[in-house]
Amino acid sequence: MELQEEILISAPRDVVYAALNDPDILKSCIPGCEELIKHSDTELEAKVVLKVGPVKARFGGNVTLDPSAAPDSFSLTGEGTGGAAGFAKGGADVTLEDRGTETLLTYSAKAEVGGKLAQLGSRLILSTSRKLASKFFIAFAEELAPKDAEVAP
Amino acid sequence: MNDQTPPTREERVAGLKGLGTSRKRVEDARFTQGKGNYVDDVKLPGMLFGDFVRSPYAHARVAAIHTEEALKVPGVLAVLTAKDLEPLNLHWMPTLAGDKQMVLADGKVLFQGQEVAFVVATDRYAAADGIAAVEVDYQELPVLTNPFEALESDVVLREDLEGQTEGAHGTRKHHNHIFLWEEGDQEATEQAIGSAEVVAEEMVYYHRTHPCPLETCGCVASMDKVNGKLTLYGTFQAPHVVRTVASLLSGIEEHNIRVISPDIGGGFGNKVGVYPGYVCSIVASIVTGKPVKWIENRMDNLMATAFARDYWMKGKISATREGKITGLACHVVADHGAFDACADPTKFPAGFFHICTGSYDIPVAYVGVDGVYTNKAPGGVAYRCSFRVTEAAYFIERMIEVLAIELGMDAAELRAKNFIKADQFPYTSALGWEYDSGDYHTAWNKALEAVDYPGLRREQAERVEAFKRGETRKLLGIGLTHFTEIVGAGPVKNCDILGMGMFDSCEIRIHPTGSAIARLGTISQGQGHATTFAQILASEIGIPADSITIEEGDTDTAPYGLGTYGSRSTPVAGAATAMAGRKIRAKAQMIAAYLLEVHDDDVEWDVDRFAVKGAPERFKTMAEIAYASYNQAIPGVEPGLEAVSYYDPPNMTYPFGAYICVMEIDVDTGVHEIRQFYALDDCGTRINPMVIEGQVHGGLTEALAIAMGQEIAYDEIGNHKTATFMDFFIPTAWETPNYTTDHTVTPSPHHPIGAKGVGESPNVGGVPAFSNAVHDAFRAFGLRQSHMPHDQWRIWKIAHDLGLHG
Repeated sequence: MELQEEILISAPRDVVYAALNDPDILKSCIPGCEELIKHSDTELEAKVVLKVGPVKARFGGNVTLDPSAAPDSFSLTGEGTGGAAGFAKGGADVTLEDRGTETLLTYSAKAEVGGKLAQLGSRLILSTSRKLASKFFIAFAEELAPKDAEVAP
Repeated sequence: MNDQTPPTREERVAGLKGLGTSRKRVEDARFTQGKGNYVDDVKLPGMLFGDFVRSPYAHARVAAIHTEEALKVPGVLAVLTAKDLEPLNLHWMPTLAGDKQMVLADGKVLFQGQEVAFVVATDRYAAADGIAAVEVDYQELPVLTNPFEALESDVVLREDLEGQTEGAHGTRKHHNHIFLWEEGDQEATEQAIGSAEVVAEEMVYYHRTHPCPLETCGCVASMDKVNGKLTLYGTFQAPHVVRTVASLLSGIEEHNIRVISPDIGGGFGNKVGVYPGYVCSIVASIVTGKPVKWIENRMDNLMATAFARDYWMKGKISATREGKITGLACHVVADHGAFDACADPTKFPAGFFHICTGSYDIPVAYVGVDGVYTNKAPGGVAYRCSFRVTEAAYFIERMIEVLAIELGMDAAELRAKNFIKADQFPYTSALGWEYDSGDYHTAWNKALEAVDYPGLRREQAERVEAFKRGETRKLLGIGLTHFTEIVGAGPVKNCDILGMGMFDSCEIRIHPTGSAIARLGTISQGQGHATTFAQILASEIGIPADSITIEEGDTDTAPYGLGTYGSRSTPVAGAATAMAGRKIRAKAQMIAAYLLEVHDDDVEWDVDRFAVKGAPERFKTMAEIAYASYNQAIPGVEPGLEAVSYYDPPNMTYPFGAYICVMEIDVDTGVHEIRQFYALDDCGTRINPMVIEGQVHGGLTEALAIAMGQEIAYDEIGNHKTATFMDFFIPTAWETPNYTTDHTVTPSPHHPIGAKGVGESPNVGGVPAFSNAVHDAFRAFGLRQSHMPHDQWRIWKIAHDLGLHG
């Protein structure tokens, strides 16, 4: 499975990069994220509840970051298991293009899924992944958007 | 006419509802009213439920299994792992093919869905919660799903066999190799093909599929610790074999084990083998002292219990320019999955695949089959066929079509030119089988005439022209098949399973008032034994079929038999029934002679009675004889009227048939429409024409499924991609065409009533008929071979690759 997308974020590049390394921001933006622990600058551990079609499971996994080319780009690899529901592993390359007050984030991800998740959800997995990714970035963009525009309800 | 007029002979015959009568199925009253009693209907007091933690990986090391959290789940009583079974030596079990199989993952897993741990709980829901709470540490290993790659790879799948160069069927030439099994004269075959005028060569793949009975596999094990008796209810196609295997594995003496197969909702070969679920349920019942039920769900069934086929068949067939076949060679790469769990007679690791010379008089032939381990589920069972006969029939019927293309000859004519002739029977094939009887030309001509074959070919040629002119986007395919089966395994001299000879049995007890019960070693899974075996008996002993109960499946009451699969029930148990009936009749003759005060030789059998020769008005009916047998002291004759027969067949039976499928194919969408399907079956003596018709309809529909869409597919990391009915094709009324059935009758000369068996013929012959129709539609555009299943995408792809989409 492969995903590719780009999204324009209303924040300068260094802010975006810092946010991508902030476990609290990530936790609030990742759909279904229950726990996100930063073990080091390059090691993260996460617990995420995922629902793909009829399969719902709590996935636990590790993510390793490669920030050697940051903040222009960085890559990450990870794998997680959801017990009886199956497993997933993959990686992504992210580039951050400086657009002044804005940043263009481009990512391309590859993933392999196995187990019940792949069997039952195979028809849904691509669309679900896209949906989850877009949810994340919408939330992420909102998180970084200028707060002064907040309107009282 | 008054009421006292005695019935005529014809009326007496009709009243028996014996051989040849379309008697309504007696089972259907309960099946159609929801009164069947299946294994999941068995509910015992205090019964627990067990289910498996299954591997999401196709190949991985199992580093640890953490059960603590699962044991905290309310209702969960135990979690069994290989470590718990090891002290009992039950963490592995023997397969029917001379291999062994893990009951629960012992150090590693070898296919997705493999059984890793068994959770025992108070109900199915608690078991599911327990399963979710078991944590398993897996370490992924490289996955091999391609058998050709497996034979080259350094990756060792079966570490337990490392260093073992001798397998159950000879030398293993690679660590992922199981056996090479050969038959025929290789040198002479190569010589014949090498010097032939015309040779056709082709790789024919019969894809992996699954018998997929609508009722999945399951059992209830109940260990009575007070009496030391184990009762095992289950979906067993061979209950007696299961009892023997259970006894050998558990050490419980065989008389203390009672195996009961209740009503079974379809088997098709899937329910022949022994599965980890049975072993774990028995152990769990022994441990807890309570009955334990295990029932697969659909995914479990499609993922883990026995698959069928998966044969890569590389063939060479040679002929003269006039189309007389001179030789046939075949090399098979057989993907057996992680364990060799084929359910073949022991001596035949590739089953009866060497029936692959089919209906043709081929002077010389050779077959070699390489069995290979891969990271797929074990199995390789005979899905509605006799051991690997479907693969063989598909292979030869494709090779004939390819040869016809090579020769530029009509495929029907090529077949007729090479059929074994009626006067050649009994015929010994180049690969060693002795065909009992047949009349192929008669059947073939009848079939061609019934469909107006020349007319169809004319229409097809016109269609091709119209297509080329752009007037239509539909092509017409005419799928021909003439198959010969080999069923009724089998003679004990060469057929056994784990050393158990493949005879079968019938025990008859006539009641004093002239009704009867017969028990057999077989077990119906929908075949209608209670209907048809009573008919065999009615004709033999003159008691109406409606007055005969047929009982099977309880090892405490039924005589020992090898069960129902491979179309063996009628050829073997049906023969035992007739033979037991004849023993009853022999005793009845003595009793009748005594009652009529004549010599034994002076009475003769007449439908339902013995009458004095030359004085038909002096007779004793079977009912009168039965009453006398119990209630009258007859000098020199024991009271009672019972008989038992264990029948060891002298040969297999060889049913055959001619099938023609006419198919319309839309080249732009890949959608097919079956316009006509004509099926002529010759199964020898016909016991119940209506039941035969039902069998043919069912078998053809399964053949349709296999040929046109059904498959067990894996991706490159070993994910099972077709584990639900969303992806695994089961035809409904919507996809199922209308079938025309027909028959000829060529009785088996060695069977007591001449019957050959029919349940599997339509699957054996149906698959090549459907597939050949697809191929034939594209023959004019250069198609030689395209692998099944012919789903819409694959048909579209054929058209696309042939450049028919412009």
